[in-house]
Amino acid sequence: MKTLKEMLAEARQVVPEQGPAELKKRIDAGEPLVVIDVRDPDEYRDGFIEPATNISRGFLEFRIGGAAADPTTPIVLYCQSGLRSMLAAKVLKDLGYENVTNLQGGFQKWAQSGLPVAKDRPMNADQIQRYSRHFLLPQVGEKGQRKLLRSKVLLIGAGGLGSPTALYLAAAGVGTLGLMDGDVVDVSNLQRQILHTTANVGRPKVESGTEMLRALNPDVTVIPLPTRIDVDNVMDIIKDYDLVIDGSDNFDTRYLMNDACYLAGKTNVHGSIFQFEGMATVLAPNQGPCYRCLYPTPPPPGLVPS
Amino acid sequence: MLLGIGEPLIGRLLTYDALGMRFREVKLRRDPKCPLCGEHPSITDLSIHRTGDAAACEVSDNGHPAPAPAGAPATKAGG
Repeated sequence: MKTLKEMLAEARQVVPEQGPAELKKRIDAGEPLVVIDVRDPDEYRDGFIEPATNISRGFLEFRIGGAAADPTTPIVLYCQSGLRSMLAAKVLKDLGYENVTNLQGGFQKWAQSGLPVAKDRPMNADQIQRYSRHFLLPQVGEKGQRKLLRSKVLLIGAGGLGSPTALYLAAAGVGTLGLMDGDVVDVSNLQRQILHTTANVGRPKVESGTEMLRALNPDVTVIPLPTRIDVDNVMDIIKDYDLVIDGSDNFDTRYLMNDACYLAGKTNVHGSIFQFEGMATVLAPNQGPCYRCLYPTPPPPGLVPS
Repeated sequence: MLLGIGEPLIGRLLTYDALGMRFREVKLRRDPKCPLCGEHPSITDLSIHRTGDAAACEVSDNGHPAPAPAGAPATKAGG
């Protein structure tokens, strides 16, 4: 008869282990990883590692197909201390999954290392009604809505591009929106900057914007940043956000945001408009080009108005 | 992007012509000579942004013949 010790030793022979720091690196690098938390649902609810899905140990063989159809998919398993998941990982290897890693030390070690822990609060009745159209979308569902509520997006510019973006993100329930703009509302803005109102002419845009967004969706925490972004504040400000949306109106800021986001590993959603034309792209560090790959030099001053 | 569903515009530029009511897609590639994200980056911090407009954006030893890839619309800053 085998002992537990022997089973674990057998598993360790075929399942590599990685520590929390390495896993965090892989997640931040945007690797197409499937992270699975094999603990029981109540353990998962008390705190989990983003972006793990919860498939408890008992259901693993039955539900793994839904989480990872391709046997070459990189998978990382974790449990509370790294033992349950080690045995679970061996099962996946036996099923034919080629790239399975166990998180050494489990969730406990991750949390003790000070790495971020995600926690879901159950949705209240108002939220269930408010986001009901999201629940109808199979690609979103309640799980997706929780993810939106935990997300943090920074908007550079609360003007022509920032306005509709902020409104739709707030409506969708993105939990934290940083709104950065050093300008005040001018009547000429109101022709397109729909975040602001006539009554707010003369007020700082982030003040007027914050009020509008909170009125639209009280679930959203709006962080007003009533200054221009610059080389001294940018790295400190962007570090806490999941995504940056560049709706700024001048090239200096565009290049600054590009560089700062690349250096910080932040994805930069880049949009711009000129008269009747608009363009959009996503600048994801090391996955696609950056702004300088496309436009190594800005146009001569005066050629393109801000 | 936040939900991890669908296909984000990484490596793609989506352009919209409101008068012609037309969308166009341009493929974008990383530049191995890019001073920020290329194989031998010369920009490794933000100090270049302290020294003024032209210095921040023009990197003279870039070796690029033209600013925009063929077919891409001229750069716009309006936002």
